[in-house]
Amino acid sequence: MDITVINQFEGPLDLLLHLIKESNIDIIDINIEDITKQYMNYISKMEAMSLDVASEYLVMAAELIEMKSRVLLPHPAIEDDEYEDDPREELIKRLIEYKNYKEMTPAFRDLEYNRTEYFTKEPSLNISGIDMTPKVSNDVNMDTFMDAFNAFLKKRELDKPLATMITNKEYSVSKRSNEIRELLSQKKRLTFNDLFENYNRNYIVVTFLSILTMAKNQELIIEQNNNFDELYICRRGD
Amino acid sequence: MRAILEGLLFISGDDGITKDKIIDILGIDSNQLNELINELGKEYESTNHGIRIEEINDKIRFVTKVEYKDYYQKLVDVDSDMLTNATLETLAIIAYNQPIVRSQIDEIRGVDSSYHLRKLLLKELIEEKGRSELPGRPILYGTTDRFLDHFGLHSLNELPSITETTDIDEEIDLFDTKYQEN
Repeated sequence: MDITVINQFEGPLDLLLHLIKESNIDIIDINIEDITKQYMNYISKMEAMSLDVASEYLVMAAELIEMKSRVLLPHPAIEDDEYEDDPREELIKRLIEYKNYKEMTPAFRDLEYNRTEYFTKEPSLNISGIDMTPKVSNDVNMDTFMDAFNAFLKKRELDKPLATMITNKEYSVSKRSNEIRELLSQKKRLTFNDLFENYNRNYIVVTFLSILTMAKNQELIIEQNNNFDELYICRRGD
Repeated sequence: MRAILEGLLFISGDDGITKDKIIDILGIDSNQLNELINELGKEYESTNHGIRIEEINDKIRFVTKVEYKDYYQKLVDVDSDMLTNATLETLAIIAYNQPIVRSQIDEIRGVDSSYHLRKLLLKELIEEKGRSELPGRPILYGTTDRFLDHFGLHSLNELPSITETTDIDEEIDLFDTKYQEN
């Protein structure tokens, strides 16, 4: 069994019909046990060839197994006039219905083929009441269009965004340290927050690094009177 | 008159033109029209012509004659327009059960049919015929005039007859119906 054979089925029902036909039995007489076995066999072969088994096939497999288990279970005694539910019935019905349509396709194929024996042409445009010619009134001419288009171009010129330069300001620790020194020479004592007036991330990081570096270099003292109080930065030596 | 009718048919192409429309344009009654169609039809049947008049679903139109198909087919790539088996199967289910919703088609085929439905819609062989009253109000599909044309049918009555579904159905019907004695 090669791959092309498997791929030619249009779905689980098609595969079932094929299996039934192969075993030469009537749809009405299918044996759930046998057919399930054959079907599962087929599916596992598909999987063995690492074909992606479409979910529909697996759904059918589950239905078959469920049916099979119902057939195998012992039946409770059935009252004479009670209708015995045949688990196969639904499946048989579906198979027959599908088979009916499947068997119609050659007839349609013939018709389709016969139809290729004569030809027609496309209808001319603009019938069926849809007028596709452009409607232009008399006082409109080529110049009007030119003017309109020029006006549009001008308007577009105005809409153009202004040229702007996007720059990324670089901060350096030494530069920022100098700025802090400058501030301290003026004020002697600054709050920690005074130094962070700009919320740019680079600025914050560089400022923080500058404070730490300057503290390390004994250039300034960081003071705090009580826990959670404001931090003060003071110039050292004053 | 005959010349005008000829022109009308030429313009209408494969859409065809309804008899009502011709009556409208020519200002004649339907008896006169039928006579006119007959005359023009006979004229075209003669071997002087490569096309003939065809009636399809109350429309008439020009088609090429089958007897010269071998020549015409040399000009046209015929196979490119043929449907695949699966699509044909889907189309057959729609044709016999229209209007029908997708889930019913899927149920009969046992597989998802949305791809084939899209293809058929694209080829204008089927169209939406409103919405079903089922939950979710799914779209109902039915066949088009182009469907008839694609298979050379003149109306839906000419669909190939299909084996009526099974005795089991009848059996169920018997249980469903509330049989009353006397």
